[in-house]
Amino acid sequence: MAGARWLIYALGGGMGHFTRACGLARVAARRGHRVTVVTNSVFAPDVPLEDVLGAGAHVHRLNPDLAKSAVREAVECLLDGVRPEVLVVDTFPRGLAGELAPMLPGLRMGKVLVHRDLNPTYVARFNVAAAVEDFDLLLVPGEDAPFSQHPRAVRTAPWLLLERDEWLSRAQARERLGVAADDIRPLVAVMGSGNAEEVAEAGAIATRLQERLGASAPVRWLAPPGPWFPVRAPSSGAPERNVLQPVRVWPALAVMPGVDILVGAGGYNTVQEARVTGTPLVALARARRYDRQAVRLRPEELARTEAELMERVAALVGPRSARAPETYSGGARDAVALIERTVLNA
Amino acid sequence: MSPFSNEGCEVSTGFLFSHPCGLPAGALCPRCGKSVCDAHLTTQQEALVCTGCAMLGDEDPEDDGSTTTDSDDASAYYDDYGYYGSGSSWARGSSKDPHDFTEADGESLRHEDDSSFEEDLGGS
Repeated sequence: MAGARWLIYALGGGMGHFTRACGLARVAARRGHRVTVVTNSVFAPDVPLEDVLGAGAHVHRLNPDLAKSAVREAVECLLDGVRPEVLVVDTFPRGLAGELAPMLPGLRMGKVLVHRDLNPTYVARFNVAAAVEDFDLLLVPGEDAPFSQHPRAVRTAPWLLLERDEWLSRAQARERLGVAADDIRPLVAVMGSGNAEEVAEAGAIATRLQERLGASAPVRWLAPPGPWFPVRAPSSGAPERNVLQPVRVWPALAVMPGVDILVGAGGYNTVQEARVTGTPLVALARARRYDRQAVRLRPEELARTEAELMERVAALVGPRSARAPETYSGGARDAVALIERTVLNA
Repeated sequence: MSPFSNEGCEVSTGFLFSHPCGLPAGALCPRCGKSVCDAHLTTQQEALVCTGCAMLGDEDPEDDGSTTTDSDDASAYYDDYGYYGSGSSWARGSSKDPHDFTEADGESLRHEDDSSFEEDLGGS
């Protein structure tokens, strides 16, 4: 069915939910569907999602401070206003606030769950299994998940926001990150994501890494658009000496070909973008309520302390290690095709 | 006073990290000889054994490992999920996988028993 109305439910903190949702939405929009993405992330107001989505897709940003009852009301209004032919729910089968669970059995549209790893305690305690039964299709994008053995579950490659031909070349990416064309040293990038505190912490880690590595490698602190960038330049004085300033980069996937070592956390997008582009990753597993970053990270990626992280990065900078091969395979495109075939054309 | 009261229960327990239970033991398991507290003592074939031995004893020797699933209940597909399911590379081999969690991983999983699920809308 061409030109169907889609509502993609991407509620949740951080950037992971809306990034994955937009990866799907832009492919669906290019196929002629009319897509609405709903997010309540604190990052969403500052991130130019519409620029990557293009025509045919719309983002509805809920106030991140809305109470549970207000979220339920907003979701009901959206369902009523959009009247989607397919509802795609990212990560939370019951809805972030549990608000979808009582609605799902009565919703007369195709229902698709983007099914990923979830805290087993939550799965057991909130009877997530019952909510899963209300979905027509479970898409498992690139990592294991509680109900990945379900008969209606289909695995795909990871979903990324940009297609392979949208990544910058290595030279373009290094230039974008402020590395001179004749500078052949390996580039270390520290990804700021998760929440405001962790974005700032990424800056502190980048500064300490630059001190540790000295002239052997330039270090960059990557940050998405947000309040950590001054609205205008400070009126007096130069930036604090030796403190790295953030480089405004979003989507970070675009510059990944220019990064030789990525430092970050274990969120879905950071990890999948590093693996798909073949970029060595050294990451701290951050505490999350639902997402288990320590489970997602491989032993060679996981640093248990900042000291270990510093040592691992220094070791990678030393003898130049080759990047792993790229493994891009367009998981979001496969997902849209699956939704069209098994839900919209059913 | 029980001769076992000063000894901790030796039955392995723990959701994240396997460790001896440690509660005061009141009995010895006749099968494995471990000190056992009341909570880890159970009855099997009219004998009092520790829960570890009871679980081993429950295994049906004719069970070929296959399971039947009720297609109406998604939990049937979830039984062996955790860190991770049987089809996962994480689950292959012995239970002492080199990738097993250590206490250092606990920080990133500290919300597992959190009662704030579906309450904190920015904490995902």
